Amino acid sequence: MAGLELKQLRKNYGKVEVIKGIDLTIEHGEFVVFVGPSGCGKSTLLRMIAGLEDISGGELRIGDKVVNAVEPRDRGIAMVFQSYALYPHMTVYDNVGFGLKLARTPKEVRDQKIREAARILQMEHLLDRKPSQLSGGQRQRVAIGRAIVRQPEVFLFDEPLSNLDAALRVDMRMEISKLHNDLGATMIYVTHDQVEAMTLADKIVVLDGGVVQQVGAPIELYQRPANLFVAGFIGSPKMNFVSVSADSVSGDIATVSGPDVVGVPVTLPSRKVAPGDKLTLGVRPHDLVVAASGSIVGRVGLVERLGNETIVNLELPSGASWLAVLEGDQALKRGESLALDVDPAKALLFDDAGQAIPR
Amino acid sequence: MKKRASIIGGAAAIAATFVVFVIPFIFIVLMAFKDRQQSALRDFSWPTGFHLWENVFEVVKTRNWMMITAFINSSIITVVSVTLLVIFAAMVGYVLARRRTRWNGLIEFLILAGLMVPPAVVPTIWLLQGLKLFGTLHGMILVEVAYNLPFSIILYRAFVSTIPRDLDEAAIIDGARPLDVFFRVVLPLLWPVTVTNIVVQSVGIFNDFTNPLYYLPGNANATVQLTLYNFQSQFSTAYNLLFTNILLITIPPLLVFLFFNRQIVAGMTAGAVKG
Repeated sequence: MAGLELKQLRKNYGKVEVIKGIDLTIEHGEFVVFVGPSGCGKSTLLRMIAGLEDISGGELRIGDKVVNAVEPRDRGIAMVFQSYALYPHMTVYDNVGFGLKLARTPKEVRDQKIREAARILQMEHLLDRKPSQLSGGQRQRVAIGRAIVRQPEVFLFDEPLSNLDAALRVDMRMEISKLHNDLGATMIYVTHDQVEAMTLADKIVVLDGGVVQQVGAPIELYQRPANLFVAGFIGSPKMNFVSVSADSVSGDIATVSGPDVVGVPVTLPSRKVAPGDKLTLGVRPHDLVVAASGSIVGRVGLVERLGNETIVNLELPSGASWLAVLEGDQALKRGESLALDVDPAKALLFDDAGQAIPR
Repeated sequence: MKKRASIIGGAAAIAATFVVFVIPFIFIVLMAFKDRQQSALRDFSWPTGFHLWENVFEVVKTRNWMMITAFINSSIITVVSVTLLVIFAAMVGYVLARRRTRWNGLIEFLILAGLMVPPAVVPTIWLLQGLKLFGTLHGMILVEVAYNLPFSIILYRAFVSTIPRDLDEAAIIDGARPLDVFFRVVLPLLWPVTVTNIVVQSVGIFNDFTNPLYYLPGNANATVQLTLYNFQSQFSTAYNLLFTNILLITIPPLLVFLFFNRQIVAGMTAGAVKG
């Protein structure tokens, strides 16, 4: 049983601070995904957990042991690299069994474990090959097999699917998910692909600039992003933003207006805004609907008709560009004016510091 | 036209190679077949009789079977020196390429200096005498290792950077200690350079004439190149025996070259990471 606990974890290279004090608790058996744009420190954080980077400050616990100064081999972890990192001079069998060989596991036990891992990953027929004779997907399987035989408490994945083609990525994603169910081990997964994050994770950690922006279940992050960064990062296409100010607050409804929108109602039971407050309104492209009397009016730009939905580029009066994903096929012409409405319960408000205003 | 030019160029290259490398070798072989009188003429003539076996026996027997001792000594020096060179040079090259410290510049300068500064013979002998290593095989081995290390390090260093660092890290995660990472993962992948090193250094050390001459005096310590002196003197030289001797001591480096040349294969790392 091994959960992880990160307390004020820090990393700096000289004077540059890359990880700026991260607090995080990961329960045993959880599938946690670190997402963020490139350079946000997610891979560095993973490598710190693996023991490949020194920890500059703070405390890292795996299970109930502080492992800051513990060698990677004694941390009870296994890691799958983006580049697979298979040993090219060894067969698949030896690649998978390398860790066991180093640990001086008896030959019969080793053989049994290697074959078991090969069976789980359905690669028994590949055991005698060299990595150069394998396809990308097969190499990734071998890399995962090498992790499995170590029977680690914690699996670490560093963007394992980013070198695979789209179809294979979907397959491997399901396989990793299945593996998590079967093994019940804690898994930490780094990716910049939010689809992977949304589909795999029990818990997503959104990182930016070496700081945790939000931790939560995928749907929670989608529906209740903590700030503008998370709102913009999670969800595809990106959320639309526009600056507004509050007109009035009555009952559960706050009404906001701005240069581009007039009188948009937003459900806000907490009533944490006062008339006149400077705010940012966030609306997901999927939450916009066509309405003749709509409060958001723009000029139609590029229209992408996909049959089941229509993606419209909209230019607002101030020149801001919005996206709307409309149900069904809509025959819209470039240049015509389009009025849209939004469900008050789905619109989000952010204060001028970029933090979401709780409902 | 272009095709004809390339044929002429190729033929010229083959002819030049033949003149420079093959004709001298044929001359050696022919001389080894001759008797003493004919060889004294030193011309490019067909041997009048078949004297090879007599010559070989004579050469091996000379000065109390010195040739046998010399082959044993040279083999020991070559094998041990090349083994040490490969291991040490690969280790230094690996650490230099992987670990960036502020001392790297100085270390690289020292390696280059080792390549450029000519070895000083008298101080080296003085030092060897002080260490009680002068005139011993292990002393000679240390000298060969020291003289050839910089070149080997430079060969290795450039190649280590082509091995992805991910492999080191994967091995560390798999539980490899530093020496395991080096001997089980990195060194096997350096095989192409190792072969180059073995060929270049073993031929060089086996054929070394001057260093054994300075540092390894004494009949018991003779190396193969020094046996050439057995048949050469101020007033008379047995050319048939001298060339038989040359023929005999050319064979081992030739075998090394033929054997390892086929093994220099590039692209050992293909398939390690996504290419």
